Amino acid sequence: MKFLTLAARNFKEIYRDPLALAFLLAFPLLFMLLFGFAVGGTSSPVYNVGVLDRDETELSGRFVNEVLAEVPSLNVSTFEDAESAAEKLKNGNIRAFVNIPEGFGGEVLKSYQNQSPDIVLNLTYDESDVSVSSQIYSTIDAAVREFAEVHIPVTINTSHLSVEAEVTQMDFVAPGIIIFGLLILVPTSARLMVKDKEAGYMSRLLTTPTRPWEFISGYSLALVVIAIVQIIIFIMLGVAFGMNIVGNIFLAFLVYFVAGLCSIGIGMVVAALSKSENQAEPLCWLIAMPLAVLSGVWFPQEIMPDFIQVLGDIFPFSHAVSASRMIIIRGADFGAVSSSIIFITAWAAGAFMLGIALFRHKMKG
Amino acid sequence: MPEHRSSREADKSLAVQTFDLGRSFGSLIAVDCLNIDIKQGELFALLGPNGSGKTTTINMLCCLLKPTRGTANVMGLDINREAHSVKALIGISPQDTTLSEHLSPLENLELMARLNNMEAKKARKYSADLVEVMGLQERAKDQVRRFSGGMKRRLSIAMSLISDPAVVFLDEPTLGLDPQARRALWDYIGNLKGEKTILLTTHYMEEADYLADRIGIIDAGKIAALGTAMELKAEVVDRQTVVINAWNLTVASLDAIKGRYPEVKVNGGQVSVAGKDLDFKEITDFVHSTGAIIRSAYFKEPSLEEAYLKITGKELVA
Repeated sequence: MKFLTLAARNFKEIYRDPLALAFLLAFPLLFMLLFGFAVGGTSSPVYNVGVLDRDETELSGRFVNEVLAEVPSLNVSTFEDAESAAEKLKNGNIRAFVNIPEGFGGEVLKSYQNQSPDIVLNLTYDESDVSVSSQIYSTIDAAVREFAEVHIPVTINTSHLSVEAEVTQMDFVAPGIIIFGLLILVPTSARLMVKDKEAGYMSRLLTTPTRPWEFISGYSLALVVIAIVQIIIFIMLGVAFGMNIVGNIFLAFLVYFVAGLCSIGIGMVVAALSKSENQAEPLCWLIAMPLAVLSGVWFPQEIMPDFIQVLGDIFPFSHAVSASRMIIIRGADFGAVSSSIIFITAWAAGAFMLGIALFRHKMKG
Repeated sequence: MPEHRSSREADKSLAVQTFDLGRSFGSLIAVDCLNIDIKQGELFALLGPNGSGKTTTINMLCCLLKPTRGTANVMGLDINREAHSVKALIGISPQDTTLSEHLSPLENLELMARLNNMEAKKARKYSADLVEVMGLQERAKDQVRRFSGGMKRRLSIAMSLISDPAVVFLDEPTLGLDPQARRALWDYIGNLKGEKTILLTTHYMEEADYLADRIGIIDAGKIAALGTAMELKAEVVDRQTVVINAWNLTVASLDAIKGRYPEVKVNGGQVSVAGKDLDFKEITDFVHSTGAIIRSAYFKEPSLEEAYLKITGKELVA
């Protein structure tokens, strides 16, 4: 029964390697927890919605403060003018805004008096996610009908913000997929260095008068070239599959580039901590996959509970996902995404500095 | 790490000088209070079995591993305090033939030269020269992953020489090579004698005997004996061996020989009699008297292997 002997040996190899065992058990567990928290459970999404009350009657005020503000799935903020609301919508701070036109209160009053009302609301929505927009539309429609005590649909004139191009599902999905592709640079970066470490080649290099930052830069630079090529290919493929880039393509490239630097920096940290590919590989995936989920690569962050969103926002990739979507879908300019770019760059710098510090420690033997 | 300085005087003229150098891994003492002096231009061999502390010693001297005790000077520079400067003066060929497998010999050599601060033009010239010296010119542009073990070893040694270092560390340079390739590498290393200071580790007796100016026998992290091959063999010079090749060595004749002399080894038609103050004529006459027909007989020179056996009390298994 040689196969049983071999099986026993392999089993021992696994359970006597704490890291491998932790990976086998913790990885699926972590994923189940993340996905469970992210898209499961009973929590419902909350969308930021702006309201511009041009009617300014008692009834329109009640509609805003007593109806819309009480809808659990809406987080309502009021605006004084359409321009500032549009700006917030463009920057992704709100997903839609409701313009209550003059005469709204009078039409609602007609309904209360059993007359035929002609209730009109103007809804401007963020078209980047059609499913989210239609949910907001339905919610507001239901709210106004309940408030006005009418059973027929009210007129909600809709308009969307990014009028330059028609938004497709690809426009929403592709920016996330590109970030996921860049997250794969974490294991790629770590593998490159750890392979040399394991083979002993690193020891040979370490006997040369080379500084830690030179080692990290030398390994990273090759990967930066790969990252640049990867981003170009991803963008080209995205466009080929129907992604419309409304904003500046170079700005989108910049966001992806700094996100790529983050991945490489994290990979260098893992490489400095790992002794072998067997250690580095699972550790990298343990970092990259949960980050993909937390960052809204596959699902919008809005549908996740608050604490998951907060957790995701600690890391650079959620900022990269939202900034790239803002540029590609809404045509956001540098000013709108600059804080995200600074945050991601700071993360990349931090990761590289940590990698160099760990490498310096390693060089001291 | 506690600062420890041995009472030995530092001698800046030495290429390598260790001061109670030691390294522990947890409770395991890999190298224990090592004190050796290697003169400039000398080829010094550390001879010992696997796990005796040879590679750990080299790794400390190359600033890859921090000593847990003591220190060492390489070309007068302290390995603990001046590691970066030490690295500019040394070259190493590690035990594992670690090369960039997808690069050519020229590319591998140029890389090491550039990392050793050599300017590009000079690096190209040195690389081309070394490729020729090592007999790799015909494969100079091939990827090294297709090379034989011997070629890789030669390239590995070339990489340790590319920066024109003052001190070269060769860790088991002929490990795993066939006798022919090993002999060829000995010639390459032999040619460096006098030009470079070389610290070579090996567990091949004949390698140390053939190449080294001086040999340090290392056992369980300690230097058990130190000297030239002749000096070490002198340890066993009072112990002689008479080797007799004979026909007609019957069971009765062998029993008679073994009964007369305390240390007798029989190997086919060869009888070796070992001991102190042996009388060559008396032994050959006695063997002849047992009915054996002697073809040849001679006194065997003491070997490094016998010296090693006497010094460490164990055989060195290659």
